[in-house]
Parts: sequence; C-alpha cells; structure tokens
Amino acid sequence: MSRSQARSCHSLVVRVPGPVDAAALEGRLRAGAAGAWPQWAARLRLWEETLPHGADRPAARDRVAAESERPLHADGPPLRAVLLRYADGDADLVLVARRSVTFDEPRFTFGRDTGATEPGPAPSEPLEWGLGDPGRRGRTGEVRLPGPLPGDPAPVAGAIRLVLSRYGTGRPLDESRTARELVGETAEAFADGGQLGPGIALHLEAARPGERRLPRLAPAGAAEFHVLRHAEGGVTASLRHDPGEMSPLVAERLAGHVAHVAQQLADHPDRPLDAVETMTADESAEVLRLGVTPPATGPEAMDRTVHGLFADVVRERPDAVALTAGGGELTYAELDERSDRAAAGLAALGVAPGSLVGVALERDADLVVTLLGVLKAGCAYVPMDLRYPRERLRYTVENAGVGVVVGAADGLAGIDGVRVVTPDELRSLAGEAAAPVPSVDPAATAYVIYTSGSTGRPKGVVVPHRNVAALLAATREDFGLGPDDVWTLFHSSAFDFSVWEIWGCLLTGGRLVVVDYWVTRDTDLFHELLAEERVTVLNQTPSAFAQIVEADRRRSAALSLRLVVFGGEPLDVRMLAPWFARHSPSDCRLVNMFGITETTVHVTAHTVTPADVLAGGRRVGPALPGWTLSVRDPRGRLLPLGVPGEICVGGAGVADHYLGQPGLTAERFVDDPYGGGRVYRSGDRGRLRPDGALDHLGRLDSQVKVRGHRIELDEIRNVLLAHPAVTGAVAVLNHDVPGDAATARIDAYVTLRPPATLADVLSHARGVLPGYMVPASVTELPRIPLTINGKVDTAGLPAPRTGPGQPAAQGADEGLTERILRMWGNALNTEVTLKDNFFELGGNSLLVIRILREMREQGLPRVATQDFYRNSTADRFVELVRVAQA
Amino acid sequence: MTAGERSARPLLRGRTALVTGAARGLGRTCAVRFAEEGADLVLVDVCGDLAGVPYPLGSGGQLEQTAKLCREQGAAVVTVAADVRRPEDVEEAARQALDRFGGVDVLLNNAGIAAPSGKAVHEIAEDEWDLMVGIDLTGAWRTMKAVVPAMVEQRSGSVINVASTAGLVGYRHFAGYVAAKHGLIGLTKAAALDYAPFRVRVNALCPGSVRDDPLSEGRMLAEIARSLDVDVDEHEEIFVQSQPMNSLMEPRDIAGAALWLAGDDSRQVTGTTLTVDGGFSAR
Repeated sequence: MSRSQARSCHSLVVRVPGPVDAAALEGRLRAGAAGAWPQWAARLRLWEETLPHGADRPAARDRVAAESERPLHADGPPLRAVLLRYADGDADLVLVARRSVTFDEPRFTFGRDTGATEPGPAPSEPLEWGLGDPGRRGRTGEVRLPGPLPGDPAPVAGAIRLVLSRYGTGRPLDESRTARELVGETAEAFADGGQLGPGIALHLEAARPGERRLPRLAPAGAAEFHVLRHAEGGVTASLRHDPGEMSPLVAERLAGHVAHVAQQLADHPDRPLDAVETMTADESAEVLRLGVTPPATGPEAMDRTVHGLFADVVRERPDAVALTAGGGELTYAELDERSDRAAAGLAALGVAPGSLVGVALERDADLVVTLLGVLKAGCAYVPMDLRYPRERLRYTVENAGVGVVVGAADGLAGIDGVRVVTPDELRSLAGEAAAPVPSVDPAATAYVIYTSGSTGRPKGVVVPHRNVAALLAATREDFGLGPDDVWTLFHSSAFDFSVWEIWGCLLTGGRLVVVDYWVTRDTDLFHELLAEERVTVLNQTPSAFAQIVEADRRRSAALSLRLVVFGGEPLDVRMLAPWFARHSPSDCRLVNMFGITETTVHVTAHTVTPADVLAGGRRVGPALPGWTLSVRDPRGRLLPLGVPGEICVGGAGVADHYLGQPGLTAERFVDDPYGGGRVYRSGDRGRLRPDGALDHLGRLDSQVKVRGHRIELDEIRNVLLAHPAVTGAVAVLNHDVPGDAATARIDAYVTLRPPATLADVLSHARGVLPGYMVPASVTELPRIPLTINGKVDTAGLPAPRTGPGQPAAQGADEGLTERILRMWGNALNTEVTLKDNFFELGGNSLLVIRILREMREQGLPRVATQDFYRNSTADRFVELVRVAQA
Repeated sequence: MTAGERSARPLLRGRTALVTGAARGLGRTCAVRFAEEGADLVLVDVCGDLAGVPYPLGSGGQLEQTAKLCREQGAAVVTVAADVRRPEDVEEAARQALDRFGGVDVLLNNAGIAAPSGKAVHEIAEDEWDLMVGIDLTGAWRTMKAVVPAMVEQRSGSVINVASTAGLVGYRHFAGYVAAKHGLIGLTKAAALDYAPFRVRVNALCPGSVRDDPLSEGRMLAEIARSLDVDVDEHEEIFVQSQPMNSLMEPRDIAGAALWLAGDDSRQVTGTTLTVDGGFSAR
C-alpha cells in the first residue's frame, strides 16, 4: 500500500452505543454521501464486521487501529465506512476519507470532494537521533505518552518543544527562561499545533468523547505528536512515527521524556528550563550502564608497569626475537640487556627517577631500546619527531621541562638548556655499571605525548603505566595477541598509535618489525615488507590503509595479516569493499577503534564485516573492557540513547592531566556529576546505540555552518569516497572574503582512479548530497597530503581549482529534459514525469543499458551505469546528463 | 504452528488476499492459513451449482463458514458470490476488494472443477469442453485481468494459480482438465513475464491428490473417483501407491506452499511451478 496514499487520507472513529441499527446507519450514510458525491452513491456502503469480543478488549483497539489506518484505493470512492460490531452490543464506526473530504456536523454530511491533491510533504533530512531502520520505511508505529500528563495541553506541547530542542531538532530554546514562560509562549504560538522541526509535526486538538481522529493515516514526515484535550478534562497524547526514520525504541523513549518533562513544567512553573531533567534517574542510570564495559581481568593485571610486564616476557621467552630493525634482530634477552644499559646511562647522567626524558630518534632499534631504558630508569619518555618543525620541538622541550634528550645532536642544535645525548654516548656512560632498579608505581607517568589541539598550542598528555597495562588487559584475549604475532612499528613515536604498536607487541611476546621512515612513505615497498616479514598485526590510519588497499589490488604478494586495527581518524567502511573482495574476514579481522591520546590510544573496538560495508554507518563499537562511554550535551548533562552530543570517556584509560596546564586540564578532565569518576570530554561528536555501541559522528568543531545549514565536513568527504573511482577525499570550509560568513564555501579535493573524471564525481555528489552540501569546487590531486601521523593535512592543500567542470547554475534546458523523458517513456512504456523514479516505474538493469546505449547513439554524454542507479529519478538523471554535457 | 494459533510474527500482516473457490476444500484451508498469518480476506465462490457439473459446488453457507473461520483468526473478511465465467461478477469482486481494503496483495486463483470427466478425447461434448476450460483456465485469466492492475499500481503482489499435477503430466480420460491445467501453467509463465517489471509475481501451484478432509469439506477426490467409476477408497489406494511418500496430500500441505508463494520469503520467485505431490511427478 503506498505511503503517499496513507498520507493523503484521514480518519475518524466514532463509538456507536448499542443496540446498533446498521440498516438505519447505512441509510443515513448513503443519503449524506449521495448529496456530496452522487457519482459514488451506488458504490458506497457500510462494511460490517462482527467481532467475537467486547469493545474494551485489546483486540478491539487493534482492529480499530487497523481499520482507521487503512488507506483508500486511489480510484475508488472518497470515503469508506466500516462498522465494527462488538459482542457486547456496542460498535465503532470507522470512517476513512481523502483529506479533501471533510467530516462535517452532523456526522453524515460530508464536504464535497474537491479532487484537489495536496502537494506531498517536502522530503526531510533524516533524524540524526532517530536510529530508524530504512527497511521498515513507510510503516507507522504509535506510542502513547505515559501518564499521568498535566491536565492542560500547553505544558505537554511545551515539553515536546523542549525535548526536541535538546535532541538537536527544531529551534534551540533559551533554557535560562522559566517553565511558565515556555508554556505560555507555546500556548500562544502553537494553539493548534504546527511544525516543530524538519519532519516532526504537532497536532493539538479537542477530543470528543468516543472519537478518534487521525489527520493523516501515516505521518507526513518522520513523526507527529497528537495531543488531545478531553472535554471531561485531562490530556492524552501519542507519538506516531515512521520506523524507517525513528526506531520504536527511540519513539518510546522520546514519548517518555516528553511526559517526564511535561510533569515538571506543570508542577514547577518557576523552575528555569535548564533545571528540568529529560530523563528519569532510572533511565540515566541505564544509559550510563550501557556505556560501561567491565574490565576483562582483575585489577592485578592492570596494576603493573610497562617494563614490569616486559620483564615477564623476557623470563618466559628470552631467546625469542623481539625486534627486527635495519636488517638485524634482537632477542627479548638482548633487548632487555641493551635497555638496561640505556637505563644505567641515564642514571650515570644523574637523571633521577620521576624525570621526563626526551626521545628524538628515527624509527630504529635504538628508539625501542631507549624508550624501554627510560621506563626502567623510573622516568617517563617524551617522544619527539625530528621531522616536526624546530619551533615545535623547542616548544616541547621547554613545555615539558626535559633536561635530557636522547637523540641525534644535530637535530636539536640550538635548543638551549637541554643536554642531548646519542644512544651510543648513553651506552658508554653506562659502562659496566649495574642498571638501576627503582621501584616504580604503576600510577607513575610512563610517557607524555604532545597532541596538536584544534586551537592553540600542542598539549602534553600525561599517561601513567597502568593505563598501558589496562589497554593490554582489555585487548590481549579478544585479539588473541601472542608470541606468534608479527607487528610493525609504522608510526612516529610522537603519535600515540605507536604506544599501541610497541607495547601491544612487546608485552605479548610478539616480534616487532621497525619500519624505516622511507618505507612508511612508499606503499609498494611497505606492502612488500608486510609480505616478506609475514606481518600478522597491522595498525593503520584509514587514509594510509586506503593506499594499501590500492597497492594490494596491484600486487600479487600474499599477506599473512590476521588483524588490522584502524585508528587515528574516522573510518569510512565503504573503502574496504575491494579489500573484502580479496581477503576473507575470517582470515583477517578488521577492527575499527575510536581512540584519543587522552584516553590511552583506544576507547572502543568494532569488528568490521562485509555487511557493515554494505550498510555504511559510523559504528565504532562498545567501550573496551575497563573503559566507559557516555554522550553529553554542552552543559555536561547525559543525553538519551541515539541523541548526538559530546563523547565523554571514563575508566581505565583516562590520562592524568595536561602537563603544566591546570586550566585546560580542569576543563577537559572533569569529575563526573553522575558518579563515574574522572571523565575526559573528547570534543568528538557521537551517539550511543541501544546495544552500547558508539557511532562516531566527527569532531564537534568540524561541524560548520554554511548559509545557516549545519554541515558535517566528514559527511561530504564520506560521500565523495563512496564514488568507486575516488581513492581519497577531503572537504574543507573556505571563505571568499576571510572572516565573512556569508562568503563561506566548501571546497573538496579528491584523488581519482582513471578513467573517472571530476564531472563523474560531481554528478555523484549532486546525486547524494543536498544542494547546500555540494562542494563549490572539486580539485583533483595526485595524492591527499597526510601529516606525519598519517592523518589528512588540510594545511597542505593547494588553492581550489575553479572553472569548467564545476557546478554552476544552469538555465532550464527544455530540449534535454524532453528528450530524456521521452527515452524513458519509450523504454518503460508509460508516461514519465520529472518526479518519477525509473525503477519504481518498472525499470531494470537491461532497460538501463538500453537507455545508455540510446543516449550514446543520440550523441548525449556517456553516463556510468552506477550513476544511473544513484540518480534514478528523472529530475536527477536529467541533471546528471546536464552536468556531464557541461 | 497448529491450526487456530495466530503467528507471533505474521507473514501476511496488513496484506489482503483474494481467494476464489473459497467456500470449501483447498480454498478454505488456504484462506484460513492466510488469516492465521495476519491477512484480511476477500472470499469469492460461485455459491451454487452449475449446469453440466455433475456434483454440487460450494454453497453460500459454506462460504460464510470459511469467513467465520477466518474471522476467528482476527481477519477482516468480505464475501462475494461470483462466477468466474462472468466478467461482471469478477469485476465486482475486485471492486469490492479495493473499496473495502484499498488494494489486493495476494490473489489465489483456486476456483476450478474436475468434472465432467471420465471420457476419451473424442467423447467429450462441445459444452463439456467449454465448461471445463472456461472455468479452470479462462476463469483464472479473467480474475487476473480484474485484480492485477491494482497490484501493478502498488508495485507489489503475488498471484498463485492453483494448477495440478494434471498440469504436468497427462491423466487418462481427463483431457479437458489436463488441457486446462497445462494451459494454466502456460498462462502463469506468460503473466510472470508481463508483470515482473512491476514486482508482481505469478506462480503456479501443483497439488497431487489431496485428501477430502471433513473440516474443509473438499470433495475433489470423491468426484474424480466417481468420474472414473471407481470406489473412493480404491481410488485413494491407487493414488497412495503411486506416490513415493506413500500418503495423500493434506489440505494444509498445499496451504503451506501457497503461504510461501504469497509472502516475501519467495520475493524472487516468479513464473515457476511449485509441485506438492509427495514425489509423484518425480517418476
């Protein structure tokens, strides 16, 4: 049954007390109908159903609902009357009519059917918090708002507005106002209801006893609230929703929130809105619980130092190879011995336990030896990448206050007040002295890694030993990490992904292959290394892995990978399609991990499957064992399931503080008012799903506004990446006049696989994105610039290319439109309008090919088959051809 | 699931099924099975005897009994007396279905006769031939002609034509019936191609010998036996022996197959012939 048909009908249910004279009722009905629509008089009748139960049974409500939501057939009479007769003598009369027909008083006179068809509701943006199931789109669900509700509709309507505003839909409300002000304003502005936000409507009506009215059989958008004022006093309300847009669970929660808020608004008129709770304490507790994954092991596994855990492995497997670097190998015993020398060297230098030691070394064996030596000396390492600008290195040295840096002297020349020693010097300083054996508290700092904030200067994140121990305890068993594994050290030690690479490998007895910097920059060489070294565990940013997927398509060398971990930036699962075509997920598991330096590398884990690739989505999984997740609003209030807000992380991974920045520390590391201990406010946007998994929705600050539209740049990037020929993409916000918001524009950059052209990409983007999100320019690059850490480097992008091939306002081109409509009409054997969808009119893949062939024959531009599928409505298709023509 | 138990996740919830020959037998069993799975029903039967058919056909009372059984399952039901040989009757049934339910999702073309039979080809009279083909083949075409346009419009629908193993192989002295059922399978295939672009599926269902069970008041087997001038028990025995599974079909066996063709589990199945004959035609 078509959804549009359901939207264009309304219904009325009237209780008819027994004894019911059906013949008389039918007579009145026919008389009323004959006056309004004589042409239908013969076909209008009273349909009767005799039910074997009383009117107050749940089965009766189900039947009334089924009948009153059953649309009319488009070509039939404009009204249907069904009499449901109950065993107790009463009956319900269900009238369903086209919306152009009115039910007038007295009941059996009807407004004339004007025959006018209403314009369909404008397509709304999907509700970000709806968690709808697209497969169920077009149905209707209904949830009653739980009672008791206030006796007046205004607080209920006010509550709906407040709750939706907190969900991020509709106009944001000023929460410093009082409940009374909101209720008063709502009573005035929404006396009969209205549109509350995209896709959500409010209907406020006076109920008549024994009546049920539906202004539409299916909601016009995602959902609509029906608030009924009863003559005998009291208010009832329900939420009707399309489960394709709003899951039944979200609808039920939303209804509960409105009821809870309505009661507070009515009971406490002088309360400021920001003191009104969305959720009950029970629900808050449940949402908090959902974000908590209990630790997989007892505290003894986590209350360890990094070098203590390393010593365990040395005892168990002294002769196993720990490190492969620069053509040589070190066993665990050798690595242990060498790092003892480094620790002794630091002691000889007078570096006291508890100090911070800078480490500025290339990726080689000495790097790992030194990091371990620093920890053994009871110190914490501050890794520095020699490829960072000197200014940044100087800042790090000064901010951290390190007195000693282990590194190449020439790399740090000119930075005052710091002693630079090479690993060789450290070894000779140690001589034969015994390594120090300071007692190190697992709560002591293991490392300080500097991260560049989106604003301001880099900040040093102080991470204790036990956080690293907790990370291993959380993943060791699930990932099956062990002595048979071969890992790479691919990332700069200044990027905390390396913490996971180094200690994930060495604390579980694996072999760590240190990858030379220049190999990390050459995908083909790196692919070769993966094959030759039989690497089993690979950690990559999605941007870097995309290049490996490309290389893997070209190269025949077999890989031994069994686990790939994504981290560092959001993953668009769709880029993995070619990977899954070559590698079975049962042989090589792909795990997407959301993480932050401030929470010790990782927070969540989600195993990506081919099904995820088909479905898309931004799932990053539940919290790691020992970590906790919650999603909160800007005031720190817990948000309900599905509602996007700031991701907050607590538990075993939370770092100590920002080094020397108490103000920033207090701002980002906060005491959880909900009793969850210290939590880190990530600045990332996400929503929690009912199964406890997190959807990562980008950075709070990557959400930009262009001419009033809220735009997620990552979303544009993801859409560009969805084009099969696009191998890399990035979208950025620029201003034609710097600082002038009115001149804001989005520019996109892509890397392309031939023979695709920018026009293909543009038509694809236009087919998927709303107009305001289509980039003003798309520029092709040989490769997307990456930062040292493998993330997209927006500062390294060239000026956007403008000119031909760019989208521009086009005048109407009647000729082209008509030609294409005729072509479609001939193929489909029916008349086609611009609104029609090719496949809904019976189009299929063969007809697609036929039309594309015919277009070629007629000299129209070549359109890719997949673009046809993506632009299957006539208007979009015409636009696609138009762009290709240009 | 046993009879009378409404499914927890009904396969046909919110769907409307139009069943011809619904007064008794397979038509009744299928209708009740559809009702158990949440369907609303338009029940059609000729509701009276026809000149030339040597046995009593379904009655109005029997059609109301089917309606009652369906309503007990929670279905909304419309009953229509219609002769599938009369276009105006069939159109009226389709119109009532659309007026009452707004659309038709499943059409079970089940109306058919098995006799007059029992003669060699050259012995069949003109009017006997016309009667048989007019009901068993042309009747199904006529019902599709009336109902399928609404399915095309809504871009979904499942038509199930109840043929027979007589649509697959010959039976001695049943030329009219065999020809009509072979024709029905041909009609099914052609219609499947016509409507596939509109996601309307058309399939044929070929039951073997179905037991006349008292609950559904079917009498097909008895009439076939009578046409052949043999005792029903003897006839049953012959059939049981010819079927590898060593038993006759029960009406619910056929209804289960019809339900599968009606619902979304068979959404890529069209133009096919589903045989439920205990292995009879495998030989």
